[in-house]
Amino acid sequence: MRGISGLTGLLDSARVKIPSLAVFAVVLLAFPSIADEYWTDVGVKVLLYVVLGLGINVVVGYAGLLDLGYSAFFAVGGYTTAILVGNYGVNWWLTLPIAMLVAAIGGYLIGYPTLRLRSDYLAIVTLGFGEIVRVTANNLEFTGGPDGVILPFRPVLFGYELAGTQSMYYLVLVIALVVGLGATSLTRSKIGRSWESVREDERVAEAVGVPSIRVKALAYVVGGVIAGVAGAFFATYIGIVSPTSFTFLTSVLILLVVLIGGRGSLVGVFLGALVVQGTPEVLRSIGDEWRIFLFAVVLIVLMFVRPLGLWPARTRRGARLAQSAEEPPLPEVGVAPGEPLLEVRGLTMRFGGLLALNDVDITVGRGEVLGVIGPNGAGKTTVFNCVTGVVRPTAGKVVLGGESLIGRHPHQVVQRGMARTFQGARLFSDMSVVENVLVGMTARMNSGVLTSLLRLPAQRREEQRAGRQARYWLDFVGLSDKATRFARELSYGDQRRLDIARALASNPLVLLLDEPAAGMNPSEKADLMELIGRIRDRGVTVVLIEHDMAFVMGLCERVLVIETGAKLTEGSPYEVQQDPRVIEAYLGVDEDDEGDEDADGDLGAGPDDTTAPTLTKGQ
Amino acid sequence: MENLTRRLGTGIALTSVALLSACGGNGSSGGDDGSGPIRIGVSAPLSGDSAAAGTDIVNAAKLAVKKINKEGLLDGRKVEIVQVDDACDAQTGTAAMRKLLTQKVVAVAGGYCSGAVIPETMITDRAGVPFIADASTNVEITERGLKHVFRTIGRDDKQSEFAARYMVEYLKADSVAVIHDNTAYSKGLAEATKDTVKKLGAKTVFYDAITPGAKDFTSFLTKAKSTKPQAIYFTGYYADAGLLLKQAHELGIDVPIIGGDANQDPTVIKTAGRAAEGFTTTTAPLPDFIKSTADFVSAYEREYGTEPGPYAPYEYDAVNVLADAIARAASADSEKITEALHATKDYAGVTGPINFDEKGDRVHPIYVTAVVEGGAFVPGKKLDESGNWVDAKG
Amino acid sequence: MNDFLQYTLNGLTVGAFYALVALGYTMVYGIIRLLNFAHGDFFMVGAFLATGVLSLLTGSGLPSGLVVVVALVAATAAAAALGGVSARIVYLPLVKAPKLSLLVSALGLSLAVEYGTALSQGTGFRSVPHIGFLSAEHAIGLTDGVRLTYAQLGVIAVSLALMIGLYLYVTRTFTGTAMRVLAMDQDAARLMGVNVERTIMMTFIIGAGLAGTAGTMYALYYPQVNFLMGFLLGLRAFTAAVLGGIGNIPGAMVGGFLIGLLESYATGYVAGRWTDVVVFGVLIGVLVIRPSGILGERVAERV
Repeated sequence: MRGISGLTGLLDSARVKIPSLAVFAVVLLAFPSIADEYWTDVGVKVLLYVVLGLGINVVVGYAGLLDLGYSAFFAVGGYTTAILVGNYGVNWWLTLPIAMLVAAIGGYLIGYPTLRLRSDYLAIVTLGFGEIVRVTANNLEFTGGPDGVILPFRPVLFGYELAGTQSMYYLVLVIALVVGLGATSLTRSKIGRSWESVREDERVAEAVGVPSIRVKALAYVVGGVIAGVAGAFFATYIGIVSPTSFTFLTSVLILLVVLIGGRGSLVGVFLGALVVQGTPEVLRSIGDEWRIFLFAVVLIVLMFVRPLGLWPARTRRGARLAQSAEEPPLPEVGVAPGEPLLEVRGLTMRFGGLLALNDVDITVGRGEVLGVIGPNGAGKTTVFNCVTGVVRPTAGKVVLGGESLIGRHPHQVVQRGMARTFQGARLFSDMSVVENVLVGMTARMNSGVLTSLLRLPAQRREEQRAGRQARYWLDFVGLSDKATRFARELSYGDQRRLDIARALASNPLVLLLDEPAAGMNPSEKADLMELIGRIRDRGVTVVLIEHDMAFVMGLCERVLVIETGAKLTEGSPYEVQQDPRVIEAYLGVDEDDEGDEDADGDLGAGPDDTTAPTLTKGQ
Repeated sequence: MENLTRRLGTGIALTSVALLSACGGNGSSGGDDGSGPIRIGVSAPLSGDSAAAGTDIVNAAKLAVKKINKEGLLDGRKVEIVQVDDACDAQTGTAAMRKLLTQKVVAVAGGYCSGAVIPETMITDRAGVPFIADASTNVEITERGLKHVFRTIGRDDKQSEFAARYMVEYLKADSVAVIHDNTAYSKGLAEATKDTVKKLGAKTVFYDAITPGAKDFTSFLTKAKSTKPQAIYFTGYYADAGLLLKQAHELGIDVPIIGGDANQDPTVIKTAGRAAEGFTTTTAPLPDFIKSTADFVSAYEREYGTEPGPYAPYEYDAVNVLADAIARAASADSEKITEALHATKDYAGVTGPINFDEKGDRVHPIYVTAVVEGGAFVPGKKLDESGNWVDAKG
Repeated sequence: MNDFLQYTLNGLTVGAFYALVALGYTMVYGIIRLLNFAHGDFFMVGAFLATGVLSLLTGSGLPSGLVVVVALVAATAAAAALGGVSARIVYLPLVKAPKLSLLVSALGLSLAVEYGTALSQGTGFRSVPHIGFLSAEHAIGLTDGVRLTYAQLGVIAVSLALMIGLYLYVTRTFTGTAMRVLAMDQDAARLMGVNVERTIMMTFIIGAGLAGTAGTMYALYYPQVNFLMGFLLGLRAFTAAVLGGIGNIPGAMVGGFLIGLLESYATGYVAGRWTDVVVFGVLIGVLVIRPSGILGERVAERV
């Protein structure tokens, strides 16, 4: 790299940035007049792969769903257009929205039943879906069997036929730009952040208010629509749609566009498409076997040199910190201060033969700070998990402000006003600090896909307000100066505070804190106590699990002791500390031992979840 | 931010360079410029599973050009082959055609997989460049009313008629099984055979597709066997045929098994071993079956040191009939060549007299059977003009 | 009934190949969470090497049984060596890299092995010499018309023996235990003194060796090899591994035999052209009901 430092230095200044963009644009525009028909044709295919790359980037790059059957959507779009134009003589322009719609339905159909699967299983399911689509098209009559469907018509725009290589080039260039802009608006909105949060940690995303299943299905639908557009253009350009164009290898090539280019970046997608569709043409003269062999070697070497691809997404991410802060008003609730806000009755949780919780009752008054203590493995986090809908309790009632929460998904619980933090602060580590906070607001934001895509005024106002509120919460916890860092770069204490800010961002009535002080030094603990005090002063009800007795004593009016899944006692911190049963329960237990029942686990959903993976003897 | 700018700048610079350096030629496309060599495009699969067949086709074309240049063609201009790889794939094939057009070919002779040739001919026809198919038999190629498409080989519906008559009339089979592999060529031939079998008053009792490359067809054959066919016609490719024969033998299937013309390959015999004995193919006459091809075969062997493949004579004829048309048109203009091709009358090709009907199809293509005996294909039967089955040799 | 028996027999034979290859997928996945696309190509290399040895030694006067054993050992060793070298050069340096980067490397390796073979061995189909005692004449008559050939019996028996051997190895030996510990938690394994690099290498070597053995038997049973032959089989074996529960050794065996049977019955009772649709349809159906496959456990995904 040092060798070309002169060049990069030259290109460094902003003075050069605009001109170089302009040069790039000129090259793109002038390309068909410089190149001959053949290279223009290569250009069209590169641009089609740019479009496909943008689509799979949403699915794989943003939402993190490994898709090995993406060509299925490409096929669905292509066949829809080919059949409508070729067999029914429908105007090509009319088929475009239909192809998008059918591909979207395809995305939903594959997405919905499979979204609970982990990504590697998703890989084989998508692969299978791709094969099913291809084989079905090959077998059915109305898709033309292996011959495929021939399209006699060419799109006509203002009386000008668009099937020539040059006009097609410009048409696809426009489409690539439109899709690129659309994808950018989406990925910079609430929806894009939701995708990324799901990619980072699906369960945590759900637990902080992201409707993860819907968000993932949406990624498939958006990815499907984009592939559908590409398919419609491909069909009319090639003039025939047949099963051989949509094999597993096609899916792999499209996937490679993103993986070579670098996920999550527009420039990366362009470079990836250039490599995947362009280099084979440049190398065609050296013979097919050598060409593919060299391509393979380059792929392997590339992953050593740039494991994230040629041009991964920016290193400093996303929304900048808003200039001004706006304090969100505390939501209304029909419960007077001091009256019971959260009521838990008879909470029982069984994991197989293990009784993790047995008939636990908890009542928390509005504005109260309740401490929950108990030895390791007592079931404290399981209480949180049951209350927030991460696991469904075997029996019992959970009522918040008069409304039952049993059977609600975690994100719905957040919507109804209860947020939580995690042991060991599970942040979205590859997202920025401010983005983490913005994800916490998802449950309180209303903009949908279309408004985000078109960046309608209402959506922009909502995004701006969210930005100001994020600023407020970062100010509140004291992280504003680190807002644009990656979450993973924060110190341990800062990560804890960000976890709290992310939970607060949903503007909850009740905040559940899971061992917030674990591993902190005394001065950090003092800061944290002060912070929790301010949260209480805002009128937020707080329930906290903590081992540190001094910490609990300093904050809580009331303490609940849980042992082996049942409530041992309850009372003021002083009463509890004097209770011989509590002393006995804690005897021999190191208070500072951080490992609770699920320190390693998922959200500590119980033994079932923490079972060690793989290479076991079977069951 | 600075970092971003720098990388953006570098990337744009590199991309621009890449894009610019990628552009070789210039300007407009298509058509002969009246001087220099006359260029004829040859498209064939030069990569993938069918690469061997593709190489054979290109070799035959080169051999023809060598002969043409020795004899001289038009105003002392040489003929030159421009070969492109279509990889048996629609997308690669259309790109290959665009490449040929930019190289100003006056005509194209070649092709192998129908699935690629169908879209390829759409491109050449729009450009007014004639395309002579040497090996692609799918009916669709000449059924679309394209003016600039011809072929020197017979269509699937001709081969299927021959195959059906061989099974129903010669072998006296009342019930047959038809097996394809779900590719465009194979399914086309299978469908047409099924229709003809019905017309001849016999029944197709089993009709299904194997997965090419699956290697184990035992269950498939078990099912076919249970329908008790009196003959089996396989329209897939030779790579699967050897294993199919071996497994049929192991299952004790003892009815005649006949293969389409894509099975004419020694690999079948090597893979199936003794199970290949008696295996019959329906094919255009092989080079060593026809007297007129003897010179071609020996010339090919002298040039390349191996025997020509089944489609080599058809490609040889395709290029020669093209040269004949150029000579008669006294022009290297694509449209004039097309006119001349339509007017071809009894051109003496190595595969017999060549005439094109109004669709561009060859009139009266000849078919024969070849049978495996003693580990090699030997001539079987053919239909004479009065519809009697006679020995194919001679 | 006869047909059903024949379908079953055939499904088991094909399933044995799937199961053997699926084991390699499952072991590697269990250890480093990698879908090793090149695994089917290790199988192909084994088949090619066995073909070479058989071509060389058939007709040399050696007893055919010995020739087969030599081919088996040579192909297994070669595939195992290729697996080890691949792990060392391509995968080990990337163990800490993002999962998708590893996936790209695996795709690259797969293409490199395929086209390296094509460059050195040609792109055509090569026939494998026939071995007398493996021909269909040597068979046990089960019912009227249905016979179990010695070759089929051999394929099923060798596969089962290898699977049981592998199972014992993984559960009873030190290296096997190290593999299991590594599968659970790489950092913990390191702390416990497991040599992580060596264990990963061993996993690749064993998995690829099994694929090499499978490749040899495949070449003997379906006497024709080609540089792309590992692709389709690898895909099916991968499907089998997932169906059984990827990462789980008995799961791979169950998955392999199930896919083999499913294919066979689908061909017999539905239609050959719909086999893939039936197989993948069932796979998707099973995963929707049991998201971790038949024998797989619910595993928390680490990011």
